[in-house]
Amino acid sequence: METGISNHCKPGFRILDDAQIGRIHDAVLRILDEVGVRVNHPDALDLLAGHGARVMDDNLVQIPASLVEDAIASAPSNLVLYNRNKTPVMELGGRRTYFGTGTDLPKTVDLETREIRDTRADDIITSTIISDALPNIDFIGSYGLPRDVPAGLHYIRCFQMEVENSTKPIFFTAESEEDLAVIWEMACAIAGGPEALSDHPFLISYNEPTSPLAHSKEAVGKLMFCAKNRIPLNYAPALLAGSTGPVTLAGALVVAVAEALSGLVIHQLTKKGAPISSGVAATTMDMREATVSYTSPEFRLTHSACADLFHHYGLPVWGTAGCSDSQYPDLQTGAEYAFTLLNAALDGANLIHDCGYLGQGFVASPELIIFADETIGMVKRYMRGFEIDSEHLALDVIKQVGPGGNFLQEKHTLDFFMKEHWQPGIFNRKNLPNWIKAGKKKTEDKLLEKAREILDTHQPEPLAAEIKNELDRIWEKCKGEYCGDFRRCL
Amino acid sequence: MGILEDVYNAIIEGKVEDVAAGVEQGLNAGIEVDDILKKSLLSAMDLVGERFGEGEIFIPQVIWSAKAMQAGMDLLRPHFSEGQRKKSARIIIGTAQGDIHDIGKNLVGMMLEGAGFEVVDLGVDIKPEQFVEKAAEEKADIIAVSALLTTTMISMADVVSLKNEKELSSVKVIIGGAPLSMDFCKEIGADSFGVDAMDAVAKVKELMDL
Repeated sequence: METGISNHCKPGFRILDDAQIGRIHDAVLRILDEVGVRVNHPDALDLLAGHGARVMDDNLVQIPASLVEDAIASAPSNLVLYNRNKTPVMELGGRRTYFGTGTDLPKTVDLETREIRDTRADDIITSTIISDALPNIDFIGSYGLPRDVPAGLHYIRCFQMEVENSTKPIFFTAESEEDLAVIWEMACAIAGGPEALSDHPFLISYNEPTSPLAHSKEAVGKLMFCAKNRIPLNYAPALLAGSTGPVTLAGALVVAVAEALSGLVIHQLTKKGAPISSGVAATTMDMREATVSYTSPEFRLTHSACADLFHHYGLPVWGTAGCSDSQYPDLQTGAEYAFTLLNAALDGANLIHDCGYLGQGFVASPELIIFADETIGMVKRYMRGFEIDSEHLALDVIKQVGPGGNFLQEKHTLDFFMKEHWQPGIFNRKNLPNWIKAGKKKTEDKLLEKAREILDTHQPEPLAAEIKNELDRIWEKCKGEYCGDFRRCL
Repeated sequence: MGILEDVYNAIIEGKVEDVAAGVEQGLNAGIEVDDILKKSLLSAMDLVGERFGEGEIFIPQVIWSAKAMQAGMDLLRPHFSEGQRKKSARIIIGTAQGDIHDIGKNLVGMMLEGAGFEVVDLGVDIKPEQFVEKAAEEKADIIAVSALLTTTMISMADVVSLKNEKELSSVKVIIGGAPLSMDFCKEIGADSFGVDAMDAVAKVKELMDL
């Protein structure tokens, strides 16, 4: 018996120690109590006032520390997402990491012409089918924002196309409480009613406050709708250090976390114990181009700090990775995907979104979801670490083979190579003659080939006909009532 | 046929003892040597090679199938007819003089055995004269020389010229190793070049007109 030693070593990472977490958390509490947040929703203001927050002019609310601590305590530390067939597939919490696409990319690099054009409705189906086929993509976002669907209706249509083409959990956006209600109606039709849906949710709503320190009427409306109906919610701000937040990373983090936690307070006051994932994206504004960097090293630092904070709170935490600031798939894309995906996994973030993104959140290129999947495979292998028990130390085999011998033909090699070694699906390991013989294919070529292969062969599990008909009915009804401004139509 | 199928499956699964037991059983039951060879051993290895080529299985799995195949061949070989013996080429293999890298050479050797060839492995740092002498002594069909270092690949040319001096013109020379190329192969007058272990097997089959 060997005591006091773990046989499994794994890469581990945190950047804040407990004292630093305490320092940042105290600063967050001071901002909420002394500065407050703007909450542009009358119901939320009433709720906050009724629980001891100070509501002042201009919808400004100062929140005492006790309300924040109560919300952290009452929110579940583990958020279980199911697939469309009610099998639990994601447990958001702890250091369990899951990867998926994002939403809302208005431009798409066409798979065939390779030109950058407006995103269309059929692109949503394309990215959903590709994501459904990939083992390392755990959840599905709309990826694109279709320009050929009326603006007030596109989130409804996206959701419908996604659930029709994948059983994986759907990470979805809604414009307002109104289209959210339609999406919920569709989800209820699939699950078999509101109860069944809240028991086995296969969707999570993406929603955000507005930095600095404001919650819009729409955001709060959606947040409260989700809480009341126990629809899992991800409520996290995207703050730009230097413009919508302080330029310093610590200051940016404090403001963003104050936004996230004040949202958490409203959410938990609406319905204690309702499922929520939180966290922040505190990145930098590029000071030359005035653009949002999705991959700056500063963002990775606040990402790590955010994960440490929310692990400390015991709350499921959002993450961002597998994205690039490049406008077209290229070397920058590769470097930024690898850097961000490894970092997010080391951070132990739970709901890691935006895989497959290009162009600072504006450009889609569906084959890059496959590239993200391949890179995630590599990262997952790394994160798994390795065993150091006697079987893995392999002293017996080493003795047997001896100096100058050959391990290739050992049974030990046969028994362990699949478990110990990651096998690339896309990345090249061919030698030069074989690579030339196989057509000198670059990674880009192979990704496009794989995308076409998936689209030709992969058949997502279809929805039952009566459910599909019901979704069609809901969609036709929305379309019929649509008059240019979705909110006035219902 | 139960036995032939069992042996076929055992080779695919890399079960050495099961193949040996199955071949023994087949011979005792009076199954034709040619049937065991073709229907079980060679056709199983064809499938293994195909699966490897498709990326479905990996080198260690091929090696264990090859080992299993070899175990069967060892039992069959004493029963071979003249014609069968001819098809089973004898190959002298070794690493070029000055080079002690042998993983590539070993891999090629195992793959060749797996394809049903007889392999005599001389080891590492083999002088040109040792290759040629052994080829004459063993009545080999092929000399296979491996090199990883650019500094040692030159001695491969000496193997070819020495072999020609000794009038062993029927013995073919195949070369392989990371720094080599078909151009180099032609330059030194070798008969063939394998880019990797599976290709080496294909090239040996070409040289043997199989």
